[in-house]
Amino acid sequence: MTTAAQVSGRPAKPPRSRALIAGIVAFVVITAISVSERFGIGLDIVELIGDLWRVQPILEQLVSPNWEFLPKVVDPMLETLQIAIIAAFIGCGIALPISFLASRTTVPNRPTLTITRGILSVVRAIPDFLYALIFVAAVGIGPLPGILALIFFNIGVVAKLLSETIDGVDPGPIEAADAGGSTRTQMVRWSVLPQVLPNYVAFSLYAFELNVRASTVLGFVGAGGIGFLLKVQYGFSLWSNVSVIIISLFVVVFFIEIVSIRLRRRLV
Amino acid sequence: MAMGTTTGRPEKPSNLKRNLWILGAAALFLWAAISVNVDITDLAALPSGLWAILTAMFPPEWSYLENAVPAMIESLQMAWVGTIIGAVLSLPLGFLGARNVSSPLVSNIMRQILNAIRAFPELILAIAIFIPIAGFGPVAGALAIGIHSAGTLGKLTAEAIEGIDEGPMEAARATGARGLQVQRWGVVPQVLPELVGFWLYRFEINIRAGAVLGVVGAGGIGFLLQQTITFTQWPKAGTTILVVIVATIIVDTISGTVRRRIIEGSEARTVAEVDLVAKAQIDGAGSA
Repeated sequence: MTTAAQVSGRPAKPPRSRALIAGIVAFVVITAISVSERFGIGLDIVELIGDLWRVQPILEQLVSPNWEFLPKVVDPMLETLQIAIIAAFIGCGIALPISFLASRTTVPNRPTLTITRGILSVVRAIPDFLYALIFVAAVGIGPLPGILALIFFNIGVVAKLLSETIDGVDPGPIEAADAGGSTRTQMVRWSVLPQVLPNYVAFSLYAFELNVRASTVLGFVGAGGIGFLLKVQYGFSLWSNVSVIIISLFVVVFFIEIVSIRLRRRLV
Repeated sequence: MAMGTTTGRPEKPSNLKRNLWILGAAALFLWAAISVNVDITDLAALPSGLWAILTAMFPPEWSYLENAVPAMIESLQMAWVGTIIGAVLSLPLGFLGARNVSSPLVSNIMRQILNAIRAFPELILAIAIFIPIAGFGPVAGALAIGIHSAGTLGKLTAEAIEGIDEGPMEAARATGARGLQVQRWGVVPQVLPELVGFWLYRFEINIRAGAVLGVVGAGGIGFLLQQTITFTQWPKAGTTILVVIVATIIVDTISGTVRRRIIEGSEARTVAEVDLVAKAQIDGAGSA
């Protein structure tokens, strides 16, 4: 860094990269606009701190859950699990072949890749809640629209993760299959699939977890499960019942996460 | 396999364990499919129902862009501010949660706190905590997004810090740095690129997660989506949905490009990228 002439003092600082400066400026400008009262959401931290006390009456009820309500939580919670399981199986099943069409490594030709990726980015751009609204409008309220919504949601999540995993597989087995004269399908089956299978199972477990977490959202728009119960109790401001729902969901999510982490560790 | 076998293929390894797993999974699926309260004949209404909705949405009512675009901007701003709140809070939480820079006791407690925060979805945080405090509107939504994100980002930050090279920390200590100085010069430079990647990724997730908040009055485009679809104003719904899709794809593209640029240079690009996204998703769980 230092030339022979520079004998004393610190070496000169390297110049900051232009991209970094542009990034920082963009960050500051977007943030300033976003928090401003006039052009943004109007975030006033001082006022917020002054209003913190408003939550106190609700918190008081939330910390004293009405346990007599617990039996009413069981059935909707089971429905949430059923919705999550069915959607995860079907959604991840559909995502598997799509992933091979969305990866550079395994796609038969360029146009297929472009089209598949285009469709996938639209599928992922639609939030779970919007799918739920649309399917409730199409088939009526109940668990069915919830299942349909989560299927699309899972296709989006799993196909993205898996296709990117396929992009990064070890090319050795693929070359071996090619050298052995295998067809594309055989190559995928024997060279690529074994490499990505553990990841695929891990992503599917993750999709299932997401589905259970999504249940609050689904129920709020009529797509079945625990969220609907939550909506009703919230509508009547029965916070000690809401508290039971939150705690139950907490326990179920926690339990699923533990099982899922164990399973994933075994796989990877 | 054994010495004695001289001809034929080697024996196949046992598949018993794998088959049991598959059987268990199949049983689970069957239980769910049989016991769920769904009349399968309702499914027959799906194609015609969807088709009716799609055709009713086109052509979209373009004048409704006047409402949809500002609402989408509000959604983006909510997600942006929420992500910043989450990122800022996640730094101290993450440092305290990392075993190698914090003490074992503190890091364990912090991990449990982070898990607990993560378990509350944005929707519940909004209705139970932040709407009462901040009133209806996007501030409540941004705060709900922010707190939930702090849980996920905090966990990812802690894990990123646990993966660092200890050398620079030792070097910083050797020059006389202490406490926060060690963190600033020995830890932050190592994890910052990864963290910025997580933040951007979280921003993408938060745009989607924020959509539902409009339903409970916590701001953003969700309210318009629900109103137009519930009241079957399909041309307006079509416009709103298009705005959501286009805006989300644009943001994803920009964010993806920036993320790639940040990670670029250390390793092969795609592998690092997949790793980051998979890690953020798997460990961070919770786009919903």
